[in-house]
Order: sequence, then structure tokens, then C-alpha cells
Amino acid sequence: MKAALAVWERDVRKFARQPAVMMAAIIGPFLSLILLGYAFGGAITYAPVAVVRESNGPFSSQFIDIMRIQLSCEYGGVNCKNSYQLTDVSDLDSARAMLRKGLVKAIVYIPLGFDQALTNHANTKVTINVYLDNTDPISAAAITGEITQAGQQLSAQIQINSPTTNSIVNVILADFYRNVFYIEFMAPGSLVQSIMFASIIGGGISILEDKERGIIEGYLVSPLKQYEIIIGVLFAGVTKAMFSAGTLFVLSLMIGAIRPNAGIVGYVLMFLTLFLTSLGIISMMTAYAVRATSRNAYTFTAFPINITLYFTSGAVYPTNGFPTWMQQIAAVNPEAYAVDALRLLMYKGAGLTPVLGDFAFLTGFTVIMIGLATVAFKRAL
Amino acid sequence: MDLAVQTFALTKRFKDFVAVDRIDLEIKSEVFGMLGPNGAGKTTLVRMLTTVLQPTEGTATVAGADIRREPGKVRERIGVVAQAMTLDVELTAWENLDIYGKYYGVPRTLRHERIKELLRWVGLAERARDPVGGFSGGMKRRLEIVRSLVHQPQILFLDEPTTGLDPQARAAVWDHLVAIHKDQGITLVITTHYMDEAEGLCDRLAIVDHGKIVALGTPSELKRKVSGGDIVEAELSTIPEAALNALEKADFVLEVKKRDNSLTILVKNGAEAVPRIVQLVDANRGKIKAITLRELTLDDVFLHFTGRSLGE
Repeated sequence: MKAALAVWERDVRKFARQPAVMMAAIIGPFLSLILLGYAFGGAITYAPVAVVRESNGPFSSQFIDIMRIQLSCEYGGVNCKNSYQLTDVSDLDSARAMLRKGLVKAIVYIPLGFDQALTNHANTKVTINVYLDNTDPISAAAITGEITQAGQQLSAQIQINSPTTNSIVNVILADFYRNVFYIEFMAPGSLVQSIMFASIIGGGISILEDKERGIIEGYLVSPLKQYEIIIGVLFAGVTKAMFSAGTLFVLSLMIGAIRPNAGIVGYVLMFLTLFLTSLGIISMMTAYAVRATSRNAYTFTAFPINITLYFTSGAVYPTNGFPTWMQQIAAVNPEAYAVDALRLLMYKGAGLTPVLGDFAFLTGFTVIMIGLATVAFKRAL
Repeated sequence: MDLAVQTFALTKRFKDFVAVDRIDLEIKSEVFGMLGPNGAGKTTLVRMLTTVLQPTEGTATVAGADIRREPGKVRERIGVVAQAMTLDVELTAWENLDIYGKYYGVPRTLRHERIKELLRWVGLAERARDPVGGFSGGMKRRLEIVRSLVHQPQILFLDEPTTGLDPQARAAVWDHLVAIHKDQGITLVITTHYMDEAEGLCDRLAIVDHGKIVALGTPSELKRKVSGGDIVEAELSTIPEAALNALEKADFVLEVKKRDNSLTILVKNGAEAVPRIVQLVDANRGKIKAITLRELTLDDVFLHFTGRSLGE
């Protein structure tokens, strides 16, 4: 039994001496818990909604007021907030353009004659049209629920104010795009995650292996220039990452997890998005791997980095549902921009303009990461 | 004949520690060995010569180029075989050599010709398309050595080229190394701490200790430098202080090293010394269990110059 205790002691001591391993054992599950928990638990808040008001009068004003005080609450009644934020837009065409660019999640359209009909007739049915960005089914569902309720409340108030009337306000919902299933909503995030996995395994680990085996030192006694080594290593990583993302893309197409609504330009832009993301993430993980002290330290810390970037990217739940601190992470998370660009391109048939912002961020990120990888490599070389 | 390597007060300091201390060394077209215990500075010296490390002071020319001013030229003209296996086991023998040749910009036709020739030369032509992972230790070593020849270097640096190989494989590697020098005129610079490797392979040796070259010459010259000639090894049940003192003072004894219960005694003439040693030990109440007489080896030379045996 004493020997068994010694065996136990050795293992426990080794575990205690390896902070990276311990951190991974604690931090990994902890991160999964809080990131997933907050991501899924959060109510959608302040989703941008365009209001196009062609009718001016007391009833439409009343409707908008009701919409404004609609609150959604977390965990049974605490932390109540508006699930959307209303923006006035002058005409339906501009609002549609905003929806296509992903600037708003829905359009509430109050047509001409809405107030007049309610004023002139005691018993009438009027409609308010809501166009939903259904490529984000979770936000769409939250917005739908509250606007429908607002319509019912308006009907009720009209009848309370003048009991003789029997007018009804109908909220008619229209999906702006074809039906997008949750699996399709998730697919862009999975593509980005496969890039991350390929970068951790195919990029970082192979560099660490080369470092340990003296291959990097071997480069130093050859006439290879530093920039040649760096370019070679980074683009080998990009090739691996693009291969995994590409394979996953084709598999997803085959099982219908991605049903793109895109033309040739869209596909080219999707390729560009994946390429930029690969180059940025490979450079980031390369910089990290080159500086890492050991393969274990690298592997076990890459794991929580991966979890954090994935769950804060909006891959599984829209970022509008996040608490503020998670939204702040999302704001600097390259995966969030990649996921956003891919969704716009895949399901909204977007061209270049709507994804320019995402591209700008990804390009900036990639340039910085290539810089970091270069500095890290030069120190190691 | 130009020198392959010439160093000028070459020095490397790491903070307060002087790893290489103003070494002046000339290496001709030869098989040159560097012997030294771990931490003696030989690895640092080679890392400077192969342009991996910048010298703190001094400089050197390697294959006609200055290591400080023209490291690129040095790299083009040298080959390096590391101690650890750096072949890619997933790739075939051919691919390993081919990719390496591309690093050096060897043109395709020349490269392929050269690889074919090299693989044939080390008996691996039939295994050219096999992944290296399935090769024996000796085969891998031979492949690694010829990999460093694809770009036809003038000097080849090898670090412990036969570590971990069985005697047969070692012999095969040595044969190839000798041939590389004899047939292709390539200078070999070998660091090792195997005495048989140094003695059997090298034309000249430098013994490196504490960052300096403490002895330099052909193996037989080095042995002659340790004046006298024979070694007596005696095993005693106990070694009384008096016996040790008496031996150290005796005129026929040059040097005495004691380790546990055995004595290594360097003497002028072995045949005469043995009976006198027995007599001296007896007179001082020591008891000899075994006594042997042998010729001086490089191990003894090393011990003489560094005060340590190579294994330590």
C-alpha cells in the first residue's frame, strides 16, 4: 500500500508542478460554463429595429410607445431591458437596404392610412408589417414575441378607451429571407472554429515539435532567410487551415447545414473571409507557440483561448444576448467578425459593401498578428 | 592550401560565464576532432563557427568567409549534422534530401543527380521512396549525413555522429565519413566524447576544457605529450594515506589518481614499475587485490589534461 501511495504522490506532485495543466483542468470547464451559460441565458437586448412610419397620428404614436416600454427580462423578471432599439427610417427601401447590410434585425412598417382607418371606422382591421432578419432566428424570435404583444396591447387599449369600437391591430410577420435553420446559423462559427483547431494542431504544435527537435536551429545553419522561413511556415499553416475549413464547408453543403444564397462574388468573398481569418489566426497561434515554454503549456492554454473566442464570437447565440463584458470581448474577437461576414455572405447574399467593416477589422488583426509572429520568430531564430 | 577554419581570439561570454575563451585555432583540410566534457565549450565554439551564435569578441573565417561579416556565405559553404535526429520521419528518404537541397537553392537537375548518387553511395537507393520512419538508426544516420552533402559543402560539422548506434552501424558511418574526406576533399569537424571515435577517425584532435584548447595534435602526438608511457592500475582493499604519499613521492611515478579503492598510476616504464609499486604498498600496510599494466590511451590523455575522465 505504501508503494501505491508513492505512485499517487508522484502523480499528484507532478500535477501540482504544472500550472498550465492545472489551469486547463479548472479554467477550461469554468470558461465553458460561464461563456455558454451567459450566452444562452441572456435575453436579446437592444437589437436594432428600423421603424418606417408612413402614417402619422395618435394610434401609430401609441403603438411605438408601447413597443418602447416592452421589456424582456432575464431569469424570471430580473435585469429587464428593451430587447430592441428603435431607429426611425424615412422609407421602406432604405430600411430594406439596412436590413440587408445587417444594420437592423427587423423593420416595423406602419403603412399609410393606418391612423386614418382607426380614426374613421369603429370596426376595422389594420395591419402593421414586420420584416424579420430570420438569418438570426434567435433575435428574430425575441423581436417577434414583443412586437406581437405590442399589437395586442394596442388593440386592447383602443377598445378600453372607446368601448363601442371593435377595431383590431394585426401584426403581420414576414421573413425577409428564406427560412434559416439553427444549424445554418451555427455553421459559419464551425468553419471558423475548424480554422482555429487547424491552427492549434497543424500550426502551433508542428512549430513546437520543430523547435524541440532542433529543426528551427537547422534552418539557422542553412542559407534560408528569416522572411523565407516565416512566410513558409505561415502559409503552410494557412494551407492546413483552409483545407479543414474547405472540407467542413463541403460536408456542411452535403448535409444541408449550409444552403448559401450567394452568387460567384459571394463565394469569392467567403473564400477571402476564410483566408484572412486563417492567416490571422495562424499568425496568432504561431507567435504564441514560438514563445511557449513547452508543448504542454501551449496545448493546455490554447484550449481555453479557443473556447473563449468561439463562444464570444456569436457562433452559437447572437451577441445581442450577451452581457456587456462578453460583448466587449466580442468587439475585439476576430472570430466574431469572421462569423458576421460569413453569415452576411451566405444567407443574405451580401456583396462587398456590407462586409467591408468586417474585412477591415480582419485585415487589421491579421497585419498585427503577422507582425507579432515575425517578432516572435526572429527572437527564436 | 587555404585553411578550412581559422579563428582569431574567438570568445563567447554568457553574462559572467566565459564559454569560449580567446581561442586561436587553425583547421586544414582534414578530419578534425574536438574532445571535451559537457560544458567545456566545444558546442558553443561550433555554434559560433556555424553562425548560429554571434561571438562576443574575436572572429573566424570558415570556408573562406568571415562568420561575422558574411554569415550567409559561410552557411552556403558548410553542412551541419546535429546530434539529434532531424529527419522528417513522415517523408521519404528522397523527399528529405530533395527539400533540403531546395533550401540551398541547388538547381533541380543537379539536385536530383546528386541525391541519386548520394543514396546509392550509402546503400539507400532502393529505399529512396520509403518513409524514413521505418529505417534503422544506422540508416537514418547515414541518410542525415548525406542530406548535408546535397549542396556540396566544403566543410561538414558533425556533433557526436555515432551516438546511440550499435558497433556495426558505427563502423559503417565511420567508413562513410572517412570516404567523404578522402574522396570528396571535404573537411570534417567532429565534436565527440567517444575516445574510439576520436582515435579511429580524426587526423588531429583538440581537447577543449573551460573554454580553452588545452591540447592539440594528432592522437599519437597527444599521447606522447603525456610524458612517460605506461599506466598501472591497481585495486586495493584499502588505501592507507602513507601508501599514497609514498607513491606520489616515488621517482619512477609521474602521476597518481585515486578513485574509491583503485589507483591509476602514470609511470615512465611499466615493466619496472609494477614490482616497485607492490613493494611500496606492502611496506605501507596496503593490500593489493589486483594490478594491471596497460598502454596509454586517449582517455588517459584526456584525464591528464582536464583532470576529469570523459564519462564524468
